[in-house]
Amino acid sequence: MLKNLTHRQNLAIFLATSLGITMIALFFREMIANPDVNITMFYILGIVIVARYTSDYIWGLLYAVLSVFSVNYFFTFPYHTFNLTLEGYPITFAAMLIIYVITSAMTTDLKKQAQILAKQEKELAEAQKEKMRANLLRAVSHDLRTPLTGIIGNSESYLEMEDSFSKEEKREIIENIANDANWLLNMVENLLSVTRIDNDTTSVNKSLEAVDEVVSSAVVRFKKRFPDAKLKIFLSDDVVMAMMDPMLIEQVIINILQNAHVHSKSVQPIELHVEHRDEKIWFSVRDYGVGISENKLETLFEGESYSKKEDDNTDGYKGMGIGLSICKTIIKAHGGDIKAKNLDIGSEFYFDLPAEKEDMSYDAESISSDY
Amino acid sequence: MMQRVSVLIIEDEKSICDFISKILSTNDYKVTSAPTGKEGLEVLTSSMPDLILLDLGLPDMDGIEIIRSTRKWSSIPIIVISARTQEKEKVLALDAGADDYITKPFGTEELLARIRTAIRHSNKIEADQVNSFRPYSAKGLVVDFEKRKVTVDGNEIHLTRVEYKIVSLLAKHSGKVITYSSLIDEVWGPYADDNNRILRVNMANIRRKLEKNPGEPEYIFTELGIGYRMIEDESI
Repeated sequence: MLKNLTHRQNLAIFLATSLGITMIALFFREMIANPDVNITMFYILGIVIVARYTSDYIWGLLYAVLSVFSVNYFFTFPYHTFNLTLEGYPITFAAMLIIYVITSAMTTDLKKQAQILAKQEKELAEAQKEKMRANLLRAVSHDLRTPLTGIIGNSESYLEMEDSFSKEEKREIIENIANDANWLLNMVENLLSVTRIDNDTTSVNKSLEAVDEVVSSAVVRFKKRFPDAKLKIFLSDDVVMAMMDPMLIEQVIINILQNAHVHSKSVQPIELHVEHRDEKIWFSVRDYGVGISENKLETLFEGESYSKKEDDNTDGYKGMGIGLSICKTIIKAHGGDIKAKNLDIGSEFYFDLPAEKEDMSYDAESISSDY
Repeated sequence: MMQRVSVLIIEDEKSICDFISKILSTNDYKVTSAPTGKEGLEVLTSSMPDLILLDLGLPDMDGIEIIRSTRKWSSIPIIVISARTQEKEKVLALDAGADDYITKPFGTEELLARIRTAIRHSNKIEADQVNSFRPYSAKGLVVDFEKRKVTVDGNEIHLTRVEYKIVSLLAKHSGKVITYSSLIDEVWGPYADDNNRILRVNMANIRRKLEKNPGEPEYIFTELGIGYRMIEDESI
């Protein structure tokens, strides 16, 4: 309604309203003994409707004039004739015109305000997206530069001073390079996963996946990176399926596990739980470590914690700024939510996905147990 | 002297090509390499290697084309090298006739294991008559194809007919990835519904029967978006 309508559309609204109101008024004329008051009300309603839903002043004005004549023709005695000499008629005419002008001005104002509001909302969303992108970019260039510096420095020092290093020192240099390269890979995989989310609609390419498989695949990849990580996995007893982009959800699980492994200083194995309740699938990662400081808890998923303070206990660039904000983007795009909270000992990160409703029974043929 | 296995690497990135060559040479493979698809096809026909390592993103042609044209005349094992995010491409390559794939970046051990598996499978095709009823065994899991029996650490596992079909298929191709679509074709026939759900549900039940902890599988691994891979047969 806020767009400028074509003349034809305006005309259609105008005609429909006029006809409709006149029909109703005629109906009332037949049914009620003294209908004059009600009939005027109907025509005023018509003015409001026409002024609100057409895009030019002229339609409202036309309607006002037409109303005056229709009232005169249909609803003043004698019916079905024009009688302009009727007593008090100029006053009715003037009153209807005034009512028209006021309502028309008011509704037009309303329309404009709505338009401005919609525009502001759009700009705000645009600005937020822009801010997220800028944040991400800042985080990326910060987080990428640090391991790159390590790789370049270590490899150059090896190339330039190879002879002056002992065997152990050489090994240490190469190990540093390998570590930094692995960190870079992790970062790039996270960034690549963002490119799988459609930028405009923030939608993902979903398919029906078995939750077990996504979890176990994530665990296998996590264990490959951190062979000494202690982990306990609790899957739900029934076979649960959900619509998702499996690579993205795998990435989220890996990020959270990694976060728990690197930062929590957990004194017991990290636990990964998958539960199926309330038509949702709940994933949670629980650690028995130091917990999350209260001031970080709020901005944890906003991707800003990477540069704020250097005095916290995270070890340099290996903060999870990007990782967690990417988790949030991914989970939101799946119609779920991700949160973190402190427990008595340690902390818990959890997110949910909508579960597939259909029941998961076997088909009858394959139930026959022996072959 | 033992005949060395020859490997052709078709890869345009010099540094990747170099490091693969070094690994393979030190592990007693004979290595030739080609930086473009066109050259690769030429070397392939002139030197007839035992295995091809093929990068899908070549500058002059699509790697899939190389697989298709090779498969017209040869069953030489082809291992595709590709990036992690390209699942569709991997499935396409496997369906076009590639034997396996390896995801960039990969470790030395992983690469060598994949090559060994592919070579073993290509030898197995030749010796199929002798081997086909030899049981599969790895980490306590035994699949006896003759008796159609599956045991874990000596305990018999009761599988449904469909479940056994899936397990035996994966076991026969152990170490190699089997795509969802080829599993569905083999188990339910070519006219089966394309929907993976029934396969997923069966697989989830198989895991609950075979694996000690389905969250950390030991025997059957999921390759997300692609298919399943059973741990390599240890008895060979």
